Amino acid sequence: MIAFLHERRWSWGSVIFGLALWEFISRVIVGSKLFLAAPTQVFEALIELSSSGELGKHIWTSTLEFLLGYGAACVLGVALGFVMASSKAGKQSLQPWVSGLYATPTVALAPLFILWFGIGILSKVVVVAVLVIFPVTINTETGLRTTPTQLIETVRSFGANSRQIFFKVSLPSALPFIFAGFRLGIGRGLIGVVVAELFGARSGLGQLISQSAETFNMPNLFAGVTVLAAAGIAMTGGFTWLEQKLLPWRD
Amino acid sequence: MSDESVKLSVANLTKRFGSLEVLQDISTQIRSGEFISIVGPSGCGKTTFLRIIGGLEQASSGDAHLDGRRIEGPGADRGFVFQQDNLLPWRDILANTEIGPEINGALSPEQRQNTLRLLKLVGLEGFEHYYPRQLSGGMRQRVNLARALAVDPALLLMDEPFSALDAQTREIMQTELSRIWEEGRKTVLFVTHQIDEAVYLSDRIFVFARRPGRINEIIDIDLPRPRPLSIKRTPRFVEYVDHIWKLIEEDVRVSVLEEHTG
Ligand SMILES: Nc1ncnc2c1ncn2[C@@H]1O[C@H](COP(=O)(O)OP(=O)(O)O)[C@@H](O)[C@H]1O
Ligand SMILES: [Mg+2]
Repeated sequence: MIAFLHERRWSWGSVIFGLALWEFISRVIVGSKLFLAAPTQVFEALIELSSSGELGKHIWTSTLEFLLGYGAACVLGVALGFVMASSKAGKQSLQPWVSGLYATPTVALAPLFILWFGIGILSKVVVVAVLVIFPVTINTETGLRTTPTQLIETVRSFGANSRQIFFKVSLPSALPFIFAGFRLGIGRGLIGVVVAELFGARSGLGQLISQSAETFNMPNLFAGVTVLAAAGIAMTGGFTWLEQKLLPWRD
Repeated sequence: MSDESVKLSVANLTKRFGSLEVLQDISTQIRSGEFISIVGPSGCGKTTFLRIIGGLEQASSGDAHLDGRRIEGPGADRGFVFQQDNLLPWRDILANTEIGPEINGALSPEQRQNTLRLLKLVGLEGFEHYYPRQLSGGMRQRVNLARALAVDPALLLMDEPFSALDAQTREIMQTELSRIWEEGRKTVLFVTHQIDEAVYLSDRIFVFARRPGRINEIIDIDLPRPRPLSIKRTPRFVEYVDHIWKLIEEDVRVSVLEEHTG
């Protein structure tokens, strides 16, 4: 532990210095909670919001929206990627839409989805799913399509049928790509949740942030942002860990 | 050749890729337990011939019979050892070796015993749970061989299996293969462009000519077994090598020139 702290001393130093600078600027230079909250004030707000149960409520809403949208996008994205990789008609008919929509900042459509699906969780689930599905689709398709042909040939030489080729070669070979797609989806999904909630929601971290901004409650606003940052870091880290567990054969 | 001793029988086999005739009217017979090498300049159709026998490629005309059955496609009665080891990186050595039986629904405790025995035979006891990336090139080629043997094939097809190895590892692998072959006496079709490798390993050598690919000459290698590596320095051995080299020299020259001028 000591060794680890020592090894990463520049990272820790940098974080502590940054927080101290932030504290200094907000208290001494800006001097007003209406424009910038100091880290200690954000920390206080976090304690207050969680003890009142308000933070828990927001986190629950956002988590539910994220998980439903993200889960649906992963399942559908893998399925679409599979269709594109295995049929020429599928590839040709889906490619323009997938490429086009992946490049479009679809998060801009959030107000539209709220108009269509209301201010409940459904609209957010849809926004998250739309943002997450394309990297998953593209990565799945790439992974399946770039399966080394010699490997396919090898199992074919033992008499493998196309189902066996898919499950024993193409799919495992595509897994690292698919996982990378899932990992890309985390950041995009979080953005989707927050932005969709900014445009209208009853609860959720994005709603907490927009409501705090309207009332100039900077400590609460930063508390919301802090929770989101922590979630992003935790999920990406957890994912890297999961990848190492599930795909131990890679370097 | 009496009928029951014939393992592989090839009749008027021809292969064209578009207008390019790669193999022309090949007919031959291979006896059970024979070690046959195919040598010839690059591009003469050695790989194509092996792939047709392996069922990975269709002949344009003519056919081949293995144990009296016409070859229509790939199957577990043949074991293919590829030039690259082609191990599945996500499977450990044991699972890689057993993929053939697995595909053919033949996994069983007895098969597991057999797989472990084969890994021991190729000198990889104790490496069962390593991943391919943790092994050297020579070790991976041993797995490649064990994997082909795991289906207990009637015919072993090997396409330049040692060409990616360094010279020392290559010689070791030659002696190992010779030893393994003497234990099981499988029928082997072995493609190589190293003439000394062919002479060292084989009972007979098919010398291919190019454009179109065909068997130019068949040479019986009359050297005693087991063969120590030192046999490579005996006059008889050197004579065989010289003779074969003279047969393909002109062809090789032409093919090298073609490769350099495009
Ligand atoms: N799938 C293919 N399509 C077209 N030409 C091919 C194909 N496979 C091999 N050839 C051609 O057939 C010839 C023989 O190739 P190959 O059997 O690989 O030769 P070798 O193994 O003796 O070097 C070469 O000219 C090669 O370009
Ligand atoms: Mg070849």
